Amino acid sequence: MKDALLLGGYEFDSRLMIGTGKFSDVAAMTAAARASGARLVTVALSRFHRAASDDLYQPLAAIPGLTLVPNTSGARTADEAVRAAMLGRELSGSPFVKVEIHPNPRHLLPDPIETHEACRRLAKEGFAVLPYIPADPVLAKRLEDAGCAAVMPLGSAIGSGRGLQTAEMLRLLIQDSLVPVIVDAGLRAPSEAAAAMEMGCAGVLVNSAIAVAKNPAAMAAAFAAAVQAGRAARLAGLMDCGESASPTSPLTSFLGGQEA
Amino acid sequence: MSASPSFPAASGPATGPAVRPDWADPGPWLDASAIPERDDDDVGRLVRLLRDDPPAALERMAGEAERLTRCRFGRVIQLYAPLYLSNYCSSGCAYCGYAADRRQNRLRLEPDEIEAELEAMQRMGIDDALLLTGERCPEAGMDYLADAVARAARRFDHVGIESFAMSADEYQRLADAGCASLTIYQETYDPALYQDLHRWGPKRDYLFRLEAPDRALAAGMRAVGIGALLGLGDPIADVVALYRHARHLQRRHWRGGVAVSFPRVRPEPGYWQPRRPVGDALLARVIFAFRLCLPDTPLALSTREQAAFRDGMAGIGINRMSVASRTTVGGYRRAVEGDGGQFAVRDTRDVDAFCRMLRRKGLEPVFKNWAAIFNE
Repeated sequence: MKDALLLGGYEFDSRLMIGTGKFSDVAAMTAAARASGARLVTVALSRFHRAASDDLYQPLAAIPGLTLVPNTSGARTADEAVRAAMLGRELSGSPFVKVEIHPNPRHLLPDPIETHEACRRLAKEGFAVLPYIPADPVLAKRLEDAGCAAVMPLGSAIGSGRGLQTAEMLRLLIQDSLVPVIVDAGLRAPSEAAAAMEMGCAGVLVNSAIAVAKNPAAMAAAFAAAVQAGRAARLAGLMDCGESASPTSPLTSFLGGQEA
Repeated sequence: MSASPSFPAASGPATGPAVRPDWADPGPWLDASAIPERDDDDVGRLVRLLRDDPPAALERMAGEAERLTRCRFGRVIQLYAPLYLSNYCSSGCAYCGYAADRRQNRLRLEPDEIEAELEAMQRMGIDDALLLTGERCPEAGMDYLADAVARAARRFDHVGIESFAMSADEYQRLADAGCASLTIYQETYDPALYQDLHRWGPKRDYLFRLEAPDRALAAGMRAVGIGALLGLGDPIADVVALYRHARHLQRRHWRGGVAVSFPRVRPEPGYWQPRRPVGDALLARVIFAFRLCLPDTPLALSTREQAAFRDGMAGIGINRMSVASRTTVGGYRRAVEGDGGQFAVRDTRDVDAFCRMLRRKGLEPVFKNWAAIFNE
């Protein structure tokens, strides 16, 4: 059975996206990208560096089957993000852009106001827009209305490894979303990626947890397996669980079997 | 710490040691019997880490510093290189090789020489250039600096300046010319010692310098780098004040980047002798303590430090480093006769040798982590 991720009119056979910063070297990064089976990888425009040893773009562009998603990390405003997106498209030819506007350089939490404005303009420019956002169900709907191809709420702060701290908001967000919800940021363990998929996320994006692992390629493969397991569990239908055991004799027998 | 208002000024705008604002005052935390009740920035934790005596504690701090650096910044070291535009200077900083009363061949790069130096840096692979001058003087003033910034911004994605303290309008002018960051060290946060060491010239104005990073961030500069020149005064007092300064900036300018550097003056023949030399173990402890207390703040270490110390600190607290620096004017194309530079460069490795070391340690040397498009 085919279970593709549909994003902006494109189909992908992996639900794991990976980020490409923070690796110990480009070879470790490309090895992890291959091992992850990811079809979508995001690269900061600031790390495009033609013909240099620290360039992340060319080594990824050389891997068959990958779609590059330039991101606007470094932008503080909608104007800056739009300019970065345009340049990213020009350099990479990718129809996708990941809008990242996190003006506070310490916690890197997304600015919802600037992000919404940038997404609105970029969607009009024909981009498949993937915004990094706070786990805010209202903002997610506003971005859907603005024409985003997906929304990417955070599980916890970038690089924090704190997992799905926003689980309650994610549940509300997923419940009503008409576009794919891809959890981005904060995951540390594959089990957290599986949990996100079981909740109904369409995908997850992982960077630090892979880049900083002792063996990044092996961790990338572990995340891939977890995402598949979580997705399969979601499709299989998880059993309901309550706070206590279900009573063996029906509580409503006094109604004598009458139907409402 | 109150200073005598009767201290005579040799010249310059300040008439006596400045009364420093609360946010740059380490005083309340230095006296163990008078720790303030209110400690919103947990200065007390920093002080405990700085004074934690057993050597075993240092190893524990290093491990935690490495973990935090890795989570937040990854297995990556960001590289930059300084470009000394001019060593003309109007100030008399007692500790500086370029002070106005030093016998020193005075040079200034002319536009074609600036281009040639920038090109030499580009050939080394540098994409983050820090442009330096002395204190404001006719040979190297605002017009000269703005022109140099614009030239550098045409070649490099990231351009910063380390120069004299300026007005907000002047910072805005440089930001508009393509300057993304300001580096400015308070040298010492002790107003009386500051007055003593800065013998004449515009730099005597303690408060004008202390508040320069605020003005720069308010004027639209993306980031500032601050530091204390260790070796001048009581190192613990200065780094506690430095920490408070960083927290002040982070609270006041929520979108501004604040990075911290740890320059120190070493006892060195032919150079000024530090009054309070800071050894390797203390400097390492200071850096670890900052990483533990400011996990998200970039921390930088320059080529003032020896190769072995830099190699050891890379990635365990430090995430930014200068590389293959020349501290002489015109130094990237030729050795300059009779010029010892502003300070002695102790790590003299070229870019390749330095990057090989980083890679051996499992760290990626990153030259470009910025896009010029954000400066427009």
